[in-house]
Amino acid sequence: MPVGACSGIRQAIGRRGFNLPGAITCFAVLAVWEVAVRGGAVTFDYLPAPSAIAVALARLVLSGQMFADTVHTLSSALIGWSAACLLGIGLGLLLGISSGARTYGMATVEVLRPMPGIAFLPLAVLLFNFSLQTELVVIVYPSLWPVAMNTMGSVMDVGARLHDVGRTLRLSRWRILAKILAPAAAPMILAGCRVSMGTALVMAVIAEMIGNPHGLGYAIVREELAFQPADMFAYIIVVGVLGIALNAALVALSRRAMPGHFGRGSDRG
Amino acid sequence: MAKTTSIFAKLPPLRGLLPLILFLIAWQLLQPRQSPYFPPPSAWWTSVLTLLRDGRLMPALGSTLLTFGAGLSAATLCGGAIGLLIGLSRRASRTLGPLLEFCRSLPPPVVVPMAVLLLGYSQSLKLLVVTWAAAWPILLNTASATSQIEPLLLSVARTYRLTSTDTVRKIVIPAVLPAFMLGMRVAVPLAIIVTLLVEMLTLMPGVGSLIVTAQREYHSAEVYGLLVLIGLLGFVLNNAFIVIEAKLLRRWPPRAHEIT
Amino acid sequence: MPGEAAMHGRESVFECDDARFEFAHSGRAIVESISFNVARGEFLTIVGGSGTGKTTLLRMLGGLVRPTGGSVKFRGKPIDGPPDGAVVVFQDYSHALLQWRSVARNVALGLEGRLDGAELRGRVAEALRMVGLERNADDYPWQLSGGMQQRVQIARALALKPAVMLMDEPFGALDSMTKAALQDEMLRVHAQTGTSFVFITHDIEEAVYLGDRVIVIGGTPGRIFRTLAIDLPRPRDQIETRQTPAFLRYRHELHDAISRASAK
Repeated sequence: MPVGACSGIRQAIGRRGFNLPGAITCFAVLAVWEVAVRGGAVTFDYLPAPSAIAVALARLVLSGQMFADTVHTLSSALIGWSAACLLGIGLGLLLGISSGARTYGMATVEVLRPMPGIAFLPLAVLLFNFSLQTELVVIVYPSLWPVAMNTMGSVMDVGARLHDVGRTLRLSRWRILAKILAPAAAPMILAGCRVSMGTALVMAVIAEMIGNPHGLGYAIVREELAFQPADMFAYIIVVGVLGIALNAALVALSRRAMPGHFGRGSDRG
Repeated sequence: MAKTTSIFAKLPPLRGLLPLILFLIAWQLLQPRQSPYFPPPSAWWTSVLTLLRDGRLMPALGSTLLTFGAGLSAATLCGGAIGLLIGLSRRASRTLGPLLEFCRSLPPPVVVPMAVLLLGYSQSLKLLVVTWAAAWPILLNTASATSQIEPLLLSVARTYRLTSTDTVRKIVIPAVLPAFMLGMRVAVPLAIIVTLLVEMLTLMPGVGSLIVTAQREYHSAEVYGLLVLIGLLGFVLNNAFIVIEAKLLRRWPPRAHEIT
Repeated sequence: MPGEAAMHGRESVFECDDARFEFAHSGRAIVESISFNVARGEFLTIVGGSGTGKTTLLRMLGGLVRPTGGSVKFRGKPIDGPPDGAVVVFQDYSHALLQWRSVARNVALGLEGRLDGAELRGRVAEALRMVGLERNADDYPWQLSGGMQQRVQIARALALKPAVMLMDEPFGALDSMTKAALQDEMLRVHAQTGTSFVFITHDIEEAVYLGDRVIVIGGTPGRIFRTLAIDLPRPRDQIETRQTPAFLRYRHELHDAISRASAK
C-alpha cells in the first residue's frame, strides 16, 4: 500500500484545523446508509445498518472475542514481520555489499520477487496443514522483499558515497560500518520495514481466511459463511483500524529513532 | 538528440539465475524416496502438462487473465479519472479526504467476503472486487499528485492564457503522469493477488481455484507446478508493465532513485 | 517624477496608479502607493532587496494577481487577468518549463491553437534562433544546463512576439558568466525587436547595465523610493560600459537609495 501517497490529501485535510466538510461527509454517508437500510430503500439481503454494526462491534469487544482474534492476527503478523525484516536485511546486505552476489543472484531475485505470496498458501497448507507455520510462511515470503530491496539500495547508495569519507578519516572497517554506513542507510531500511508491516498484516489476514482458522481473517470468513453481516463488518473495521494503528506506531517509532529523517516517506518496493 | 538507454541494458546478468537452476537440479537429483510432499521438478512439469491436455488449464488461465485485465483496466480508468477530478478541486479533496482515507485503509482481501455477501457468487463479483482493490493506489496517487502540482506550472498556464481544458490536457495530466504510473506499479501486483484470492475463496473458475483444488486432493506435484505457473504469470505481468511504463515515460526526466 | 522626462511623449504600455496589494486574510500590504508608467520600447529595471514585493508587483503587471487598491492598466485598459501582449518569465526555469516536452514544443506552448502548421514552426524556429538554441530543438529541458533552460523559457515568451516581457529575476539562479551572456542577449533582443521590458533584479549592477530607467523599491510594505534615468550609450558592453564614470555614479546612487530604503 503506498503509505506516502496520501500525503497530498492529508495536507489538504490537516491544514485548516478540524476538517468540517470532511467530517460532515462521513456522517452524511453513515446517515444515508442507516436510513436506506432501515427504510428498505436498499435491498441487499446482507447489508447491515451502521447501528447494527456498532452493536455487533460492542458485543464482540465486550465478550473478549475481538481481543482474542486481534491478538492472534497481530502476533502472527509481528512474528512474521520480524522474521521478514531479519531475512530481508540479511539478503539486502549480502546483495548490497558484494557485487559478486549481485551478479550471481540478482536475476534469481527478480524472478522470485514478483511471485504472489498468496500462491504459496496451498503449498503451505499441504505441507503444514492448517497451522501457524502455514500462516507464517505466507507472511514472511512477500514481506521480506521490500526490506531486502531497500536495504540493498541504501547500502549501495551509501557505500559509494560515504566509504571514501571513512577512509579519508582513516577509520577502521568496522568503525566505518557502524558510524557511517549504518546510520546513513538506516532511514531507507526502516522505510522498507514499514512497508513490510502493511504487507505482513494483509498476508496474515489472507492466510487466516484460507489456511489457518484463527484470528481476524478467519473470523471474517466465518461470519460471512454464517450470514452474519454485522459481525463480519465489525471485524473488517477492526482490521482497518489495526492497519492504521500499526503504521502510525511504526512512524512514531522511526521518528523517535531517527529524528530529522522522516519528513517524507521514502517507500520502495 | 534525445537519447534514452534501452530497458534491456538494465537487465541483471543471466548468470544470476544460477542459484535457482542449481537448486532445482539438486532437488530433482536428490528426490527423497518419492516423498509425497516434495515431488521432483520433473513431476511438476508432467502434472501441469496433464492439466493442459485435460483441457482444464487453458480455461482457468483465461479466466484469471480476463479478470485481471478487465479489473485493472477499469481500475485505471476510474482511479485515474476520479483521482484527477478530486485533485483538481481543493474542496473535493477536503470533503472526501477522510472518507478516502478510511476506504484505503481497508485491506483489499478483506473486501472479498464483504462483496461475496452483498453480491453473491458471480463474474461481476470477481471483476468488482479486483477493480475496487486496484483502483485505490491509482486514485490516491493521482489525486495527491494533482493537488500538489507545482504552482509555477499553473502560473505558466495563465501567463500564456491557456484555456482550462488546455491547462488540464497539456499541463496537469502530463505533470501527474509519473505519479499515476507509480500508483499503477502498486496496482498491478495487487490486482494479481486479489484475483487469485477471490478464486481461492470462492472456487470460481481460475488458476487460484485450480491450485486450491489440487491441494485439497493432495496432488502435490500439481500444487508445485501451478505455483511455478503463477510465479511465471506474476513475473511476466509485472515486467510487461515495467516495459510499458518505461516506454510511456521516456520523455520525462529520469527518476532519481530507481530500483525497479 | 524625475527620470520620466526622457519617456515623456511615448505611448505607455503599462500605467500603475497608486496600486496596492494586500493579503486577503491578514490585510497586510505587500506593496502600496505604486505609481509609474512603462513606455513603449523601454527597458525598465526594478531593483530592491528581498521581501520588498518586487515579485508581487510583477505579478500584478502580468495579471496573475489583482491589485486590491488603485489601478493597473495595460494599453489604457484595466487589467483583468493575464493581458494579451504581456508574458511573464519566471526565475525558476526548471519548474516553469514543461520537462516532458522537447525544447521546440515548449516554445510552441503559447502559439498552439492560435497559429497552425508552417507558421507555428516558423515562429518557433525564429524564437530559437534569437536565443541561439536552433540546434537544441529536439532536446529535452532536463538534458540542458541551467542557462540553456532559461533561454528556452525566454524563447517561449519571445515566440508570442509580446509587447512587453515581464522578467522576474530571470538570471538569479545562474553563474556569473552565463548571466553576463544572457544579459547581452536580452539587450540584443530589445534592440532588434523593440519589445518593452520590465526586468526585476536584486543586482544593482545588472539593473544599471540593462536599463533605460531604474526604479528602486524598498521598505515593508514596498514603495517606490527612487526612479533613475540611465543615460548610458547603447549598445552596452560588459567591460567598457561597466568601467565608465557614469556607470559607477549610477551604481553609487542606487546603492545609497537602497540602503536608505531598507533603513526605513
